Amino acid sequence: MEATKSPYFDTVAYDAIIDACNDSPGRLLTVLEEAQKITPHQYLPEPVLRHIAKRLDVPLSRIYSIVTFYSFFNLKPQGDHTITVCRGTACHTRGSKMLLDDVLLRLGIKPKEGETGSFTSEDMRFTVKTVACFGQCALAPVIAIDEVIYSNVTSEKLETLLKKLASRKVKS
Amino acid sequence: MNARFDELKNIGQRLIRPQTPAIAVGMGTCGIGNGADQLFEAFRTTIAERNLDIQLRQVGCLGYCADEPLVNIYFPGKPLLVLHKVVKRDVTAIFKGIEKGTLPKRLVLCKISKWDHLSTVVEYGEGYPDIPEWNEVPFFKRQMKLIMRDAGLIDPSSISEYIAVGGYAALLKAVRTMTPEAVVEEVKDAKLRGRGGAGFSTGIKWELLRKAPGEKKYIICNADEGDPGAYMNRNEIESDPHMLIEGMMIGAYAMGAQEGIIYIRAEYPLAVERLTNAVKQATELGLIGSVIPGSDFSFTLSVVKGAGAFVCGEETSLMSSIEGYAGRARPRPPFPAQKGYLGCPTNINNVETWCNVPVVIGKGSAWYKATGTEKSPGTKVFSLVGKVKNTGLVELPLGEPLSTLVYEIGGGAAGKEKRIKAVQSGGPSGGCIPADKFSTPVDYESLAEIGAIMGSGGMVVLDQDNCMVDTARYFIEFTKNESCGKCVPCREGLAQELELLDKVVNGKATQEELTLMESLANSIGDTALCGFGQTAPNPVLTTLKYFRNEYEEHILRQHCSAGVCEALFDALCVNSCPMHMNIPAYLELLKENRLEEAFESTIRDNPLPGTIGRICHFHCQMRCRRETVDTPVHQGEIHRYLADTIYKMGSEQKIYETLMTEKKPATGKKVAIVGAGPAGLAAAFYLVRLGHDVIVYDANPKAGGVLRYGIPAYRLPREVLDKELELYKALGVKFRFNKRLGTDIHLEYLEKEFDAVFLAIGAYEHMDLPIPGTEYKGVIQGTVLLDTLERKSRVSVGKKAVIIGGGNVAIDAARSLWRVGTDVTVVYRRSRDAMPANKLEIEEAVAEGINFEFFTAPLSIKADAKGKVIALEVMEMTGGTFDTSGRRKPIETGKTRDIACDNVIIATGERVDSGLLEREKIVTTKWGTVCVEPYRYKTNRERVYAAGDMVSGPSTAAEAMGLAREAASFIDFELMGVKRFDQLFKTFDYSHEPPTEIVMTKQIEPRHLSVASRRGNFQEINRGYMGDQARLEATRCLRCDIRLSARG
Repeated sequence: MEATKSPYFDTVAYDAIIDACNDSPGRLLTVLEEAQKITPHQYLPEPVLRHIAKRLDVPLSRIYSIVTFYSFFNLKPQGDHTITVCRGTACHTRGSKMLLDDVLLRLGIKPKEGETGSFTSEDMRFTVKTVACFGQCALAPVIAIDEVIYSNVTSEKLETLLKKLASRKVKS
Repeated sequence: MNARFDELKNIGQRLIRPQTPAIAVGMGTCGIGNGADQLFEAFRTTIAERNLDIQLRQVGCLGYCADEPLVNIYFPGKPLLVLHKVVKRDVTAIFKGIEKGTLPKRLVLCKISKWDHLSTVVEYGEGYPDIPEWNEVPFFKRQMKLIMRDAGLIDPSSISEYIAVGGYAALLKAVRTMTPEAVVEEVKDAKLRGRGGAGFSTGIKWELLRKAPGEKKYIICNADEGDPGAYMNRNEIESDPHMLIEGMMIGAYAMGAQEGIIYIRAEYPLAVERLTNAVKQATELGLIGSVIPGSDFSFTLSVVKGAGAFVCGEETSLMSSIEGYAGRARPRPPFPAQKGYLGCPTNINNVETWCNVPVVIGKGSAWYKATGTEKSPGTKVFSLVGKVKNTGLVELPLGEPLSTLVYEIGGGAAGKEKRIKAVQSGGPSGGCIPADKFSTPVDYESLAEIGAIMGSGGMVVLDQDNCMVDTARYFIEFTKNESCGKCVPCREGLAQELELLDKVVNGKATQEELTLMESLANSIGDTALCGFGQTAPNPVLTTLKYFRNEYEEHILRQHCSAGVCEALFDALCVNSCPMHMNIPAYLELLKENRLEEAFESTIRDNPLPGTIGRICHFHCQMRCRRETVDTPVHQGEIHRYLADTIYKMGSEQKIYETLMTEKKPATGKKVAIVGAGPAGLAAAFYLVRLGHDVIVYDANPKAGGVLRYGIPAYRLPREVLDKELELYKALGVKFRFNKRLGTDIHLEYLEKEFDAVFLAIGAYEHMDLPIPGTEYKGVIQGTVLLDTLERKSRVSVGKKAVIIGGGNVAIDAARSLWRVGTDVTVVYRRSRDAMPANKLEIEEAVAEGINFEFFTAPLSIKADAKGKVIALEVMEMTGGTFDTSGRRKPIETGKTRDIACDNVIIATGERVDSGLLEREKIVTTKWGTVCVEPYRYKTNRERVYAAGDMVSGPSTAAEAMGLAREAASFIDFELMGVKRFDQLFKTFDYSHEPPTEIVMTKQIEPRHLSVASRRGNFQEINRGYMGDQARLEATRCLRCDIRLSARG
């Protein structure tokens, strides 16, 4: 099938994802997940959503319903590094709320009114997110930095981790 | 396929028990999160570099997460050794150990001589007599591994290892030798129940699909393990993915389904990876995707990743999600078996349910039913997490009591000085079970009976530092955010419920709103569309049922004892201090060398700062944030230093004068206080300063109560107490001594003469010890002994005394007698750890050489012909199972003996003199304490208030003073009709800058009198801080009272 041309972005990579998923169960979720993964700054811009809707012959409204329903999808660009604070029960009982406040404070991110769940620094370097549970409960509290999980995190440990992260080069 | 199957089996067997030494690293997400991947890499590099003949592979996780990373070491013919808490720098030692044949002792957790994979037993070998077998380790001892039969022992990425331990044998047995109906029957007969939480009969559910009309049928595995605090499904898939596939395939055969789907959370990338790999391997082998030889069964299986929506764990939402919609629930009926995925008949089971299937078929239903209870056979994997020592995945037969899980396996509270308060079971749909209900067996019915649910098996342990209101709020915030929004009760109801809870945690709710909250919760549960909404209010309902007092505390007292609800306090130490002493203020003032102001700050909050600074249990230290760095700040020792120094300099008079001049003008109201102990003194201090005419009655000839007549002088020199009592005279408090309530004075009289009466007579009656011989000469009550010592400065005792008890009175009595030269033995029926006495006091007593005999219970007191004590007969005890207090129940061994002695001192606890209260017509509770209006301290008698030990039961002096302070505030309000209490306090101006650098010093020990110089006198042991010590200790404070708000 010939790739649909779009004036905004190169559709080849997205079409490859769509073609690979053919008619398997859960196709729409899989396509959206993969599409987000390959988009710079890990999000789903409107043109991409429109393109997927068109290719899969699914109304855009249904796609919008999905991407706003599931917490995995981002409609806004994400920072270069993602710090995910687990807000599961075990982590909560071991002080993850304080840890979340601490991360935001140390990265100088001030959440805007009504903003919950995902916060990105103005310079687009860091995104701080929460997750319902990593399933790492025995080692609570846990955080993930760019998908690497760190366990039994204390305020002191966090400081070291974030310092290390700040000195890292921006990933290309 | 058959030949290939056997070939893989051989390969697998060689991998599990190779001819060379072998290393296997536990590589679940848990292990990796703790460095197992780096460890694996370090092993790999060394083996490669040194070209060693050592096999290295990854395995799943044994479930002992607290001790990760785990590493298995195998020498051919020997038991498998399990190493724990292995870090990278241990690698060299491990290689050396492999060379020598012995491993560093500290790393070895246990050995596994043989392992029952249920269909196959792997015999590793015999040896290492000094190393405990795996099932002798407390964490594993009571476990039964049906589901986790392979976890931590086989490589989850290897189908050959799965086959080698008997994998897929049950599937082949089913499809080759059994009819589908027979398989369904077997599962039904095994009484297997849904492990996702609801506990519906799996066999019946299967039968429904089997009988459902329709060509195309689906089976789905619900691996959307969303319950925060539960992660058993993650480990089941990560450690043994083929087990799930096999279970599903047996199910598909039984139900006549051709296609299966596993819906798994995206938050579990490793599980997804291993599962996808396993599906690929099973396909390559010809199990999936083609007709299995010897049968006409074929099956396809796909893996679908979720996208982060908790509600998709609900089966109808889950199907919507796979179909490519937002995960919103649909009404049932039609049930999935009638109309499910894409409108076809569908069966959905939880991961763990599927994992049970190969066991049921492989071993047969009769074998399976031998484990667990009649109604709930089999095992359940629990994730034991939160404030418990041994966290991890625990597989227990159903029906074991919660205490086994929490205390025996979990090892009790994680923090040394912490007490377990509750277990939250079943995630957001579950409930909070209080510690006194831990004898409840864990099965579907028993948990439902107490308002909780088994759910997925998440068990989050909560201790005294967790606020139950905050816990409920946490879950409601979670469910409110995760509600799919389809039905009104769930969408709007939960939002309103959260708003109400927000009011409570901010101290802004009313009692009426509490009732509203409860009725709203019930309405949501009754009317929501799906299981998610119907169970969402459970956390609120169970906490309201079992922890209503915590809600009331937030509402009536604007206080969160646990120190969690941030809006209600500034610093944790202040919040924990029963008197709410402004600790950061006096620490900072001391640092700024403003000693008098520092002292003034302490005395306004605590009229006896020198006294309490010596004897307090220091609640402040139990919640000091400094503990995250090293050890807590010794706030109490500092206010003692301030008091001692000010009294030495004589500058207290100036402060007394300040307090006298700011005394409120006379109100003309008369207040009687009964009891000149800590509570009475605290109330008197505030009430007299508010301008009331205060008269304190006491049965004793001097003021102080337990401080004088109960606490030995080596802990509290009487000069200090007398000095601090001078303030009372200066303020104009009048004392009437030798007046005992019920004998010399009566409430009827006091009520007539006074505008308010405050009862603070404490809990001084001793508990009866029900053993024969307590009437003999030489038997003395512990409290009487201490009282006599104070009054007469001597006590007539023989050469040898035995003290019965484990509380502070027992220790005080023992150490006092030791000082007068008696040979002392303390007998206690439980272990040392279980003693309720102050830990420091026990340590000091041991240091002084006092003899303790633990697990020794008194049986009878023996006397000579003249009725004089000659011995205490005791029974030797042993630790049994854990009781609901979290301590091992003492069990009689049958071995008895006599301890020869001249005196027996009974110190088995105190209680309130409820007989006296009854005679004075005061209503008491079933525990014999005074019934008061919560946080208002009003008794049933008009104008009569009560606080302290007589209301709370025996507690500490500081706690009694704290309650009395609150009572004083309320009494004043009732007398005057306006709130004036806050005017008694003063704000000091001091620095509000957090320290830029942390002073790296552990808690400073004050000087102590050497043990050698303690005998024969009652000199004070703790000599207190020197000036520089106190200042240095003060600089250790992190000033966590200064909030750096990220949201500012």
